[in-house]
Amino acid sequence: MHVTILSRHRLLLATIAAWLGMSALGAIAQVGGLPTNVKHTDSSPEWEKLREKLFPGRSMESAASMVQLVVPLRAAYGASVPVRIVSKLPQSDNLYVKRITLLVDKNPSPVAAVLDLTRELGQADFETRLRVDEYSHIRVVSELSNGELHTDSRYVKVSGGCSAPPNRDQLHNIGKTFLKVPEGIKANEPAPVDLQIVHPNDTGFEMNQISLLYIPAHFVRSIKVSYAGRPLFDAELDFSISENPALRFNFIPGSGGEIKAEVVDSKEGRYVATLRVP
Amino acid sequence: MSRHFESLEAGAGGLATSRVKHGWTWRQLVAAGGFAACLAMPVQAGIPAPFAPVVIQPAGAPARAEFDLTAVLARARRENKWLYVYLGASDCPYCRKYEAFLEKNAVELVPHFSKYIVVDLRSSLSVTTDALFIKIADTSRPYVEFQKSIGDERTRNVVYPSVWLLDGKPKPLMQMPAGTGTFQTVAEQLEILRLEQ
Repeated sequence: MHVTILSRHRLLLATIAAWLGMSALGAIAQVGGLPTNVKHTDSSPEWEKLREKLFPGRSMESAASMVQLVVPLRAAYGASVPVRIVSKLPQSDNLYVKRITLLVDKNPSPVAAVLDLTRELGQADFETRLRVDEYSHIRVVSELSNGELHTDSRYVKVSGGCSAPPNRDQLHNIGKTFLKVPEGIKANEPAPVDLQIVHPNDTGFEMNQISLLYIPAHFVRSIKVSYAGRPLFDAELDFSISENPALRFNFIPGSGGEIKAEVVDSKEGRYVATLRVP
Repeated sequence: MSRHFESLEAGAGGLATSRVKHGWTWRQLVAAGGFAACLAMPVQAGIPAPFAPVVIQPAGAPARAEFDLTAVLARARRENKWLYVYLGASDCPYCRKYEAFLEKNAVELVPHFSKYIVVDLRSSLSVTTDALFIKIADTSRPYVEFQKSIGDERTRNVVYPSVWLLDGKPKPLMQMPAGTGTFQTVAEQLEILRLEQ
């Protein structure tokens, strides 16, 4: 609670500063002065607490031999940091990635996503975009079907991601969900799918620049994706996912079927998209 | 206002001896004029001289601020160098902060800029996203279109200050962040110059 109040106070100041820049000038200025001498593999007090809470007493391999996180050191915007999770093993019957947890140590709500996966993915690689509120580690924890935990982390230098003024010109399209697969996919080989949802994914830390009131949190909290009636993955998400949440994942095309995405947001808005795959 | 100045005059021991219409003294007019001039004059702005910046002033005012990169790009190709393009605004506190950082650390930083031609685009905060244009040869593009044309992800509102690292084509050497707040230490500025991702 104490942390939450402090965070809100800091975010309030940052938001007011951003708003002043935006309203008077149509431009945003950035602030600096955050810790810089941090290694990608370092721990953090926040991570130590999260680890004990989420994975109590469990050992974790951090050699990046099974999972790798690809994130730029700096991104164009703190509100949209591209993140790629690369799994180093295929989803086989013998061994597969069962769960992926994506975290941002210093975000107001650090657990960005928990993905429960099936072998139907073929390859447990994911891409998305995250809000990052201040210089922080981003971490992935990959849980294999044999119970092993593997982790990788990257330190990123961005700020203001959770309080950045949101783009609100598509509210009339909220919930519209798109699925896309590239041309020329081959049967029985992992193929990428792009899923995107039109949604502000409001954090609750963004200020309405006209009313000066905080915009209540309203974000996509779960996505279930299936192919030909068989689950690919279930995702529990948080507002650390950027506005217009996007996921790239894999599936294995078979003899045809439908990819289906079922989306639920934090106000119980329910949205469905389907895509017929030949 | 007149009364206010009169009382100031009295407080100053009645030094002003001549009076103009509306109760203003010549001394008061000179003082007020000087104050107004100070307000109108932009604060000293721009990349510090030790970085040998190529200063580019905008054309097309007041409808637009168009910065022509044609000549510096040609020079970059000729000298086999990269461009460190800085967009600053004369009335932007964060720009002054970054420029002050560069000035303070110039001795240490300048040698690391040797492979770059530093380009200083002089704008103002009143130049918003739609009014900012970048010209290369015969093509002038508005900010967002220019960003898309070179594959830069910073396609929302223009942020002051901004930096581009470009080759002679021009293509970004790496994706830069909006603003300069994440490279205002010597170590971080060097990370940027080394293109550390």
